[in-house]
Amino acid sequence: MSSTVANAMITSVAARAESASKIYGSGDNEVRALDDVSVTFERGKYSAIMGPSGSGKSTLMHCIAGLDSLTSGQVFIGDTDLSSLNDKALTKLRREQVGFIFQSFNLIPTLNAYENIVLPLSLGGKPGDEAWIKQVIDTISLHDRLDHRPSELSGGQQQRVAVARALASQPEIIFADEPTGNLDSKSGTEILKFLRRAVTNLGQTIVMVTHDPVSASYADRIVFLADGRIAGEMTQPTPEKVLDYLKHLGE
Amino acid sequence: MFRLALKMSLARKSRLALTSLAIILGTSFLSGTTIFTDTINSTFERLFTDVFRGVDAYVRSSSSIETNFGESRRGPTPISALETVLNVPGVSAAVGDMQGFARVIGKDGEPLGKEMGPPTFGGIASASVAGLWRVESGRLPVGATEMMLDRSTAKAGKFVVGDTVRVNAFSGTREFTLVGVANYGDISSPGGATFALFDQPTASEFLLKPGFVDAILVQGDGSVSDEELASAITAALPSEAKLETLTGAQITQETTSQIKTALGFFTTFLKAFSYIALGVGCFVIYNVFSITAAQRQRESALLRAIGASRRQVTTSMMVEALIVGVLGSLLGFVSGIGLSRALSALLNALGLEIPTSGLTIRSNAVIATVVVGTLITVLSAVLPALRAGRVSPLAAIRDSALDTVGNFRHRVILGLVLGALGALGLVSAVNGASTTVLGLGVLGVFSGFLVLGPVFSRPMAMLLGAPITKMRGITGAMARQNAARNPKRTSRTAAPVLIGVALVTSFTALASSLKSEIRDTIGSAFRGDYALSVDSHGFGGIPTSITDQINELPMVEQATGVGLLPAKIGEESRFILIFNPKTAEGLYNIPMVEGQQSALTTDGILVENNKAIEKGLSIGSKIDVTLIDGRTVLLTVRGTFKSAFANYAVSRELFEGSTTPLFDNSVYITIAKGVPDTDARNAIAAVSSDLGIGKLQSRNQFIDSQAGQVNQILALIYGLLFLSLIIAIVGIIITLLLSVFERKREIGLLRAVGMTRSQVRTMVRWESVITSLFGAVTGVLLGIVMGVVIVVSLVDKGFSAFTLPITGTIFILIGAFIIGVLAAVFPARRATRNDIISAIAST
Ligand SMILES: Nc1ncnc2c1ncn2[C@@H]1O[C@H](COP(=O)(O)OP(=O)(O)OP(=O)(O)O)[C@@H](O)[C@H]1O
Ligand SMILES: [Mg+2]
Repeated sequence: MSSTVANAMITSVAARAESASKIYGSGDNEVRALDDVSVTFERGKYSAIMGPSGSGKSTLMHCIAGLDSLTSGQVFIGDTDLSSLNDKALTKLRREQVGFIFQSFNLIPTLNAYENIVLPLSLGGKPGDEAWIKQVIDTISLHDRLDHRPSELSGGQQQRVAVARALASQPEIIFADEPTGNLDSKSGTEILKFLRRAVTNLGQTIVMVTHDPVSASYADRIVFLADGRIAGEMTQPTPEKVLDYLKHLGE
Repeated sequence: MFRLALKMSLARKSRLALTSLAIILGTSFLSGTTIFTDTINSTFERLFTDVFRGVDAYVRSSSSIETNFGESRRGPTPISALETVLNVPGVSAAVGDMQGFARVIGKDGEPLGKEMGPPTFGGIASASVAGLWRVESGRLPVGATEMMLDRSTAKAGKFVVGDTVRVNAFSGTREFTLVGVANYGDISSPGGATFALFDQPTASEFLLKPGFVDAILVQGDGSVSDEELASAITAALPSEAKLETLTGAQITQETTSQIKTALGFFTTFLKAFSYIALGVGCFVIYNVFSITAAQRQRESALLRAIGASRRQVTTSMMVEALIVGVLGSLLGFVSGIGLSRALSALLNALGLEIPTSGLTIRSNAVIATVVVGTLITVLSAVLPALRAGRVSPLAAIRDSALDTVGNFRHRVILGLVLGALGALGLVSAVNGASTTVLGLGVLGVFSGFLVLGPVFSRPMAMLLGAPITKMRGITGAMARQNAARNPKRTSRTAAPVLIGVALVTSFTALASSLKSEIRDTIGSAFRGDYALSVDSHGFGGIPTSITDQINELPMVEQATGVGLLPAKIGEESRFILIFNPKTAEGLYNIPMVEGQQSALTTDGILVENNKAIEKGLSIGSKIDVTLIDGRTVLLTVRGTFKSAFANYAVSRELFEGSTTPLFDNSVYITIAKGVPDTDARNAIAAVSSDLGIGKLQSRNQFIDSQAGQVNQILALIYGLLFLSLIIAIVGIIITLLLSVFERKREIGLLRAVGMTRSQVRTMVRWESVITSLFGAVTGVLLGIVMGVVIVVSLVDKGFSAFTLPITGTIFILIGAFIIGVLAAVFPARRATRNDIISAIAST
């Protein structure tokens, strides 16, 4: 049993952190945003990260995604140790193996929706997998808006484009930091459903930071953070279970 | 609110720094040229006060003719008057003074002094306290074989006391022994002129005419005032001698103001340029305010949302503008001091020694700079500040969007009207209206173009960026979009480039038209094989005796000289063309409209066709012409001719027996049949260029070099416009930096999704290149339009062709490309330094 688990871990880990610590400032101003965090995100799974404000969720995500560096510890995307990469290699890795969805300001205002979707591919000078891109666009159902600029799209549509962009290069893993934070509940639900579908139907790996128990319940598994440490985990979450756990965590 | 405004502007250090930089740039040229001009003027004032210290009265001919550049040419003074002056009670000493033409020939056989440079003088060295020279080493020259040099000429020619020096003057070329070196006042030589000094009889005979000097310097014994002395001298002089007496103070003042007028051309030029720099600076300042106002939109909106009134928001921006304006102008003044030093250094390097002993900084200059700088800053801030006040509180929540161009149709109409009015101004200025009209015309054309700018900056940027998109893929596409996304910003940023390039293009176009005009004129007039010429315009030249000598050489078929002298025709002072109708036939052909060139007699005159029409002159009309020596002669019009360069022509015989030394500027030569070229050349050179008299050139060489003189003026203009391009570069740098700050989040996002640092740099660089090229292309178009307008309206004046400067245009476009690349270096680096996380996190 243990050997099969270990095996599965080796083959199906999309990203992981080992004893990751991140310290901001020094002396009296020292803030331990991450304190010896070890966590693994499985391939083909939808994970959520939850925790109180300031608990280090965004920091963890940024460090695993190669946007920021750790003070100590290691992070891996697939089998690649990020600390061994220089800026150029890191950029290439972000372009090819990582997808991003931020809370807002996800799109380049001078590019239209389609250009935004294929941006990481264009930056790498690659045409990308046409059939895949078509499938992604089908999934977010934005055919009639592809030549529109972001300013001509609603917030929900903009987030859908951002989801498509994250998917377009078939990355190893997609990170989403409160992707529905700025949306009304209808658009938000739509985005969450797209993400769910991307995992279930298209086989993608997603890690999503959220404050909302309902959003988190779309995930396969939730990792709880508090004060820069892993505070717990939950699989097959429901909104009620999550709410309950959070209450418990707050005490 | 004031304290709040202060706090808010201090919080944005980079914005503050960039705004100040724009102001410093605009004002430093203004203060630099002001300080420089003040310094030159006060230096010459001091110099002449010192030089004329011992002079209490100054006797000279009362007949004079003003020339174009503020100097005047006077008849000579007979040395016999010296006796009379010395006998006037109250006079303790008196000596002759002279400033004639004399060229010192260097040890290498080349005349000293720069081509087209400061004049080369010959004068009198005298022991009297009234003399202007102070012996530095050696002694004063005595007799026909001795001379003295000013210190800087001696140094330049590496002459020491005891050397033999060859000098070329009106009476030919002679050798002298250098017996002394002198200073003029306390400096080595004023303004880079060269001085060869002799005793009075030698100077008179060698430079002018035996028995004559230019003026008499008088020193009083102190018993009477200078005024009384001057009137006593006037009373003693016979009235038929046509002499006048000035006091020492008067001649000091007159000489100083003459120098000022002579330098006036130069100072006006500097001033015009500093206004261009200021105008270009205005654009940069206005651009900075517009951009920062857009960037602080959220801040303004937030203030409005929490209850600040429109007025308060506007006022807080104006207060910031006021503070930055005063600070920036003060700093601009300080950097202007450095700039004026650089200007003197530049002139010294060009051989125009400006004897500056310290800078003259008048409080007026400080006040003017600060007032002008603050005023333009505050004015530049008005519109953006009003716009900031009008921002809706809701904008606090919105992302900063792309800007809008407003009403296109209004813009197009306003732009076209301004442009048309400007063109009208240009045309009327070319046809004789004042320089103010010219300035307004240029201003009108530029404003028209600039109002139109935002209308076509987007399509132009897209067009210029198209090849870059092809070459550089998505990075190029984004650069193109960035250049096109803020049409107003792009056109304002490109404006300095546009102005510089338009001026360069129109000057180049004008110059090449002028060059081809010179070629045509000389080419059709000059029919010989060789030309002997000097570059000293209107002062000295080739003594006519040399021309005659060449004409008599057996190897020469025919030689004829052409010279210029000022004369007064009616009330106008003009340079008139002087030639010899007897030898000119077939060799030097004036393009006659009516009458024959050979019909010109001693009492005749030829008049330029347009001038004749203007004055209602025709063959047979009679006009009064006053010559330098004071003679007034009644001349009969014998014909009319066409020329862009001369208005009148008279026969050389008119000056026979005159006390005015007559020089030719060029001598045209046909060699005798069957004589080998080299033999003829050697024979001519033996009596002329080998003696340092003129430059001997073949017909083609001569035409080339005459046309090439336009290039020297052009080079000066280019030099100054180059400085305005520096402002343009800094303007682009500032705008790019502001854009990079503004797009911090966007760049962060791009980096997050996989844009490499070098791709970010490429993107910024190409945006810069597109902007700069946009300015250059529109500038070239505008320059061509202005050039055509000017040249076409000059057609009457004899200009025939508009020549499109194709190579020049290509260079300009390449230059604009380079400017774009250079301007992007720093902003591009800045763009990659942004930390991705903080860029994304920032709101
Ligand atoms: N650049 C920084 N400098 C100093 N401290 C920082 C910096 N970025 C984050 N922190 C601190 O690190 C801790 C974790 O921040 P982080 O943004 O990861 O929290 P979070 O869990 O994402 O919070 P939220 O739910 O509010 O987004 C916080 O205490 C924060 O103040
Ligand atoms: Mg966060």
